[in-house]
Amino acid sequence: MKTIKYFIILFCLFIGGNTFAQQISKAELQVNGLTCSMCSRATETSLKSLGFIETVSPDLNRNVFVLTFKADKKVDLDEIRDKVQDAGFSIGDLSATINFKNTQVDAAGLAELDGAVFQFINAKSKTLDGPVIARIMDKDFITSSAFKKQAAELKSETYLKGKGIVQGKETRIFHLSI
Amino acid sequence: MKFIQLAAVVFLLGGSLRAGAQELYVFTEPASNMAAKSIGVRITNEGIFNGGGNRTMPEVMFSFNKNLMTHFQGFFSDMDGKYRLEGGSVYAKYRFLSIDDTQRHLRAAVFGRVSTSKRPTYTEDINLEGDNSGVQGGIVVTQLLHKLALSGTVSYSKAFDVESQRVTGTLQPDQMIGYSLSSGYLVLPFVYKNYNQPNFNVYFEMLGKTNPANGKSYLDLAPALQVILNSRTRIDLGYRFQVAGDMAGRYNKNMYLVRAEFNFFNVLK
Repeated sequence: MKTIKYFIILFCLFIGGNTFAQQISKAELQVNGLTCSMCSRATETSLKSLGFIETVSPDLNRNVFVLTFKADKKVDLDEIRDKVQDAGFSIGDLSATINFKNTQVDAAGLAELDGAVFQFINAKSKTLDGPVIARIMDKDFITSSAFKKQAAELKSETYLKGKGIVQGKETRIFHLSI
Repeated sequence: MKFIQLAAVVFLLGGSLRAGAQELYVFTEPASNMAAKSIGVRITNEGIFNGGGNRTMPEVMFSFNKNLMTHFQGFFSDMDGKYRLEGGSVYAKYRFLSIDDTQRHLRAAVFGRVSTSKRPTYTEDINLEGDNSGVQGGIVVTQLLHKLALSGTVSYSKAFDVESQRVTGTLQPDQMIGYSLSSGYLVLPFVYKNYNQPNFNVYFEMLGKTNPANGKSYLDLAPALQVILNSRTRIDLGYRFQVAGDMAGRYNKNMYLVRAEFNFFNVLK
């Protein structure tokens, strides 16, 4: 009995040491440049090779893939972009369901969640809690014409590069629209 | 005659405005590449009705990244008597432009080809897919506009000067300017349900060549049907026939083509 208890304690320690809260539970990805189901299938195969993706459900008529993510793996949005581009296509729209935890968005629209930095382009000085659907507005996550338009509006170096200085370090910053 | 041709083209292009667009052309290559890290295997059979012979072309295609792909082909035929291996070809295509937008994209690529063939030469026409040894370079631009996929190619071919292969009394192949205009559209399915539904596509292509040395030209029309199964396997059926101009001794003047292609996605490391 004792042994079992120890085992359970050890087991809990082991598992507990790996707690990882998934920031992003789901994403809806619209891909441009697909002209046939063969292209879609190739793109899906390419996406499925990413370790953090749980499922890929295609909507062939809208060229949309609904992605769900594994609970214990960190989602890398840039890798999703690379996979789509590798397949020979481009992202037209990526809307992710992000699970905020009483996250403060400061007066400049900046927020941090588990080490990821987000710049909101249409929200500031508020608290976000729970799942929020956010559209990624960075380069290569929207069409190039939409990006140019957005860049002209924002006039931001950070937006053009997708990177900025946060606490003295160059950091990847995702620009979100909610 | 010219007017009828033009009318036919306009009609066919108009037809594709009302359908889903496809750019997996049968007689030409689009500017788009296969998905990166994929391998495609093709077996193509082409021939001339009423005893003109048959050519079989096994082909393997590698897509290294989103911009670069290569094809390796072999040529077997009984066009000069016994069925034999006659040569091969290496083709590479590099996509240098890709502007994607919702339901429209513009892509452009450059391509090159080197071919060998031990067939004798009967004509000044150059066909680097089985009939001649030579090199070719060109540019292809593909535009998808909502429901219309259009593709145009311009190429320059130079035949290797193999005087010994020339049949006495025929013109020596030297150089050719090639050009093509292709359109394609999806007939089925009307509404996609899953990857296992067959896709049925119809293509219409115009293939022309001009010899810059003497201005002699020809133009072929090439309609084709295509079925895609399980979003992996492709079956092509096409026929090309001459509608204008001529070149003495042209070999592929009226030729049918049957092809099967199998795709293996995301298999290259």
